Amino acid sequence: MLSSAEVSNRLSGFPRFEDMSLSLPYAPRMPRGMVRETRKVVAIARTFNDEVARPRALDLDRKTHEDPDYMPRDLVELANRWGFYTMWIPRIFGGKGYNMPSMSYFAEEIGSVCLGIMNVIGVHYLGVAGVVASANTRLAKRILGEVVQGEKTGNPCLIALATTEPGAGTDVEEVELVDKGRVACHARRVEGGYVVNGTKVFISMGHVSTWTVLYAYEDLKKPSETTVGLMVKTGTQGFSFGTHENKMGQRVCPASVLVFEDCFIPDDQVLFSADMVRKFTKKPIREVTQRYIDYVVGATRPGVCAFGVGAARGAFEIALRHASTTTMNGTLLINHEWVQSTLAEMYKNVALGRLAYTEANYANSHRGLYKILQLKPVYYYLRFMPQAYFDKVIAPMLEKDYSTRLMGKLSYDWTRPEDQRCCSGWASLAKVAGTDIGVRNCQMAVELMGQAGLRQDAGVEKMLRDIKLLQIYEGTNQLNRLNVFKCLIAPEIPQARVFEEKM
Amino acid sequence: MLSSFKGDLKPFEELARSFAAKELAGKTEGHDRYPFGEFFHDVLDKACEAGFLGIMLPGDLGGTGGSIGTLCVVLGALCRADSSPGGIVFTNALVQEILLAADARDIAGEIFGKASSAGDFLVAFPSYANPAHQDNLPEYRRSGRGYSLTGPVDLLVLGGLARRAIIPARTGSGHQCSFFLVDLDHKGVLKSEPVFTLGMHACPAVDIRFDGVRARIVGEEGKGDEYFDRVSPALHVAAAAMNAGIMRGSLDEALAYARERFQGGREIIRWSEVSMLLAGMAVKADVAEMCVTLACQALEQGKAGWSSRCTASALHIHEIACEVVTDGIQVLGGNGYMKDYGQEKRFRDARQVQALLGSVPARKLDLIGKVAGI
Ligand SMILES: Cc1cc2nc3c(=O)[nH]c(=O)nc-3n(C[C@H](O)[C@H](O)[C@H](O)COP(=O)(O)OP(=O)(O)OC[C@H]3O[C@@H](n4cnc5c(N)ncnc54)[C@H](O)[C@@H]3O)c2cc1C
Repeated sequence: MLSSAEVSNRLSGFPRFEDMSLSLPYAPRMPRGMVRETRKVVAIARTFNDEVARPRALDLDRKTHEDPDYMPRDLVELANRWGFYTMWIPRIFGGKGYNMPSMSYFAEEIGSVCLGIMNVIGVHYLGVAGVVASANTRLAKRILGEVVQGEKTGNPCLIALATTEPGAGTDVEEVELVDKGRVACHARRVEGGYVVNGTKVFISMGHVSTWTVLYAYEDLKKPSETTVGLMVKTGTQGFSFGTHENKMGQRVCPASVLVFEDCFIPDDQVLFSADMVRKFTKKPIREVTQRYIDYVVGATRPGVCAFGVGAARGAFEIALRHASTTTMNGTLLINHEWVQSTLAEMYKNVALGRLAYTEANYANSHRGLYKILQLKPVYYYLRFMPQAYFDKVIAPMLEKDYSTRLMGKLSYDWTRPEDQRCCSGWASLAKVAGTDIGVRNCQMAVELMGQAGLRQDAGVEKMLRDIKLLQIYEGTNQLNRLNVFKCLIAPEIPQARVFEEKM
Repeated sequence: MLSSFKGDLKPFEELARSFAAKELAGKTEGHDRYPFGEFFHDVLDKACEAGFLGIMLPGDLGGTGGSIGTLCVVLGALCRADSSPGGIVFTNALVQEILLAADARDIAGEIFGKASSAGDFLVAFPSYANPAHQDNLPEYRRSGRGYSLTGPVDLLVLGGLARRAIIPARTGSGHQCSFFLVDLDHKGVLKSEPVFTLGMHACPAVDIRFDGVRARIVGEEGKGDEYFDRVSPALHVAAAAMNAGIMRGSLDEALAYARERFQGGREIIRWSEVSMLLAGMAVKADVAEMCVTLACQALEQGKAGWSSRCTASALHIHEIACEVVTDGIQVLGGNGYMKDYGQEKRFRDARQVQALLGSVPARKLDLIGKVAGI
């Protein structure tokens, strides 16, 4: 038989065994408590759906058509009261510290009822990821601490994340592109901080967030080497909101225009910059910036997959209900063979989509952003130590420079590029799979239901409007497919070049 | 495309194009706000003046006397800009064709012969259903020398605007439906608010309940399905022409945007991934127009055995239209999702148009039933 060296050799060929089936090696390493926790999360989501989301979703959508200026402040307050904005903030920062993969199951549940409402809850975690992935523990402690406080006082404190600009959408997702692009949001270094000028567009929840993670560039000609991440508080002088977009779907969740005019951001609100990065790594800043982007979207794209799976499931559930109660030619639809097949296909899509986000989460849990949190000893330690311990012993440490340096080294210096690629590639793969499946199922449901499917009060047309967005944000599915190629395929082909296509 | 084969259609196409450029372009978002904004009565009046509300109706009955080709070039040109007026033109044409198929020229003459405004011309019809596939049609019974209707009709297109409707109904026991002319101002007619639907907001529909409403038979009793079947192939093609127009509009906007929008240091059309998307859209838009062109010619020549081909190509066009409008949004990225551009509306409208004349699966089964003779 094969020697162990031969086995390793065989398994390192393309596709590398450790990249192709992530659940197989990683599932046994998962702390058991995660299952119990995830069950609880799903039960909470289902309760919220019954008590809040389902009774409101269609009325709210209608209301946003009647009143295009609608802002979801009531909904945000409700979600805050339900504790959703701190559920996935680690306990060292004062949050409830639910395991990160459980958020995907949560997103599927809420997304199966209303993607807009799920976005009102979920986009905040894009902001949280932007904060945490920066490795800046001092600022993370401060901002996330405010979120926790906001929950206690009943004044919601949400975080938005702003990277997209009028002239640069796809370009800001990728350092290879951004230097060729037309970014215009400028951060000028001044005594004690930065002065920002520029505009950001399509920023989800901008109007109703307290903090915005803002990315700007010191040198607009070399953005990949001069990216700065800044925490901007709503109300800061020089920071204002333009309109919010008139969207096709997900209308309860505003997409805002953010305007910065000589907006001063002090040094203690700088999240990420070349100077800071140099303190913990000698790696080229451009590489660190791409890694930072990858950490954020690598963690959030599997979540978008789960949103898509949620919509796919919601569409399936509505179609199933329709087919079980409607007759065609005197026979219940559900008893027509083609309907059974259609429903089975939709069910299959949901199941495959769920597998996709599960795999991508395994990648992140064991080789990505939150791998430390998922190590069994760390997991149980964080789970069972009393909160007072974190508040009194750990919290002061987070303020120290050495803490940021350690996080920086862990996240940016001591990681393997192949792990990074695996996480980023799987995140994109899941994002494309889940969102395409979501669109597909919504289309199938509308078709199956005929004229009943066209009515807003039947729910499925709204899902079709809502789901289309998921193929666009967090990088278009085109960009994400190219990222799958870049991360999971191109490394095997030395002559492959991505984003360098001849004109 | 059709007008390059049939020169006599050119003036109609030109007329519809200039109408669209003047009355629709740049205003579609406002028109589409209905029922939360104003209804575009002024546009409809002008469409009526242009003769769009009676394209296939013979001249002696107050119509324009055009062919299926005429209807298709007008629908294509209108829907390229905005499909809602297309939906209104379609519904009126469907009603008129049914009246003609039923040889109810007297009724047609009474309605359209004296019509002088859009309000007189409009007749409501449940355009999203094939009555033969519907289990819950209103019931009719004889009442004195006429008939009376009782029961619900969902999504009666133009029901909130028109004074009259053509309604399919059955007796309590019979399978075959019959068509009736109903006065919607009758006191036994209960109307909902306009139903908020996926697309074509300015071609609105209402849910209706009839309670012993007086009705006048259209053609012969029990022949409704036959009439509907007879007019279906042409109307399927007309609906397909609508979606072909929507596809063309989507491609226009995507191409223009891709030429202007820069990402990664070049116009996005110069990324082959985007070019491929556009190429796919162009292939489908051209195929759709060719199908409509050939279908119209076959219909006009009354070619035997072509009706199922017309229906088949219509089904195909709707399917590819729904793909095109999805990609049409995608080419514009985030902007494609916003009402400032036309793509999101086309995404919704194409699905709504696809649902005209009954659900897709039912139409497919119907088609194969006819082809296979079972
Ligand atoms: C409702 C909504 C909410 C959003 N929320 C946020 C948010 O909270 N924060 C935030 O920062 N952003 C947000 N976005 C922005 C979103 O991430 C961008 O819309 C997305 O990345 C696409 O960018 P774009 O819209 O500029 O499209 P573009 O980049 O202009 O793309 C247009 C088309 O060109 C294609 N394309 C572009 N470059 C290439 C290339 N190199 N190769 C191949 N194809 C290419 C794209 O795939 C697309 O099909 C949101 C967007 C929307 C619509």
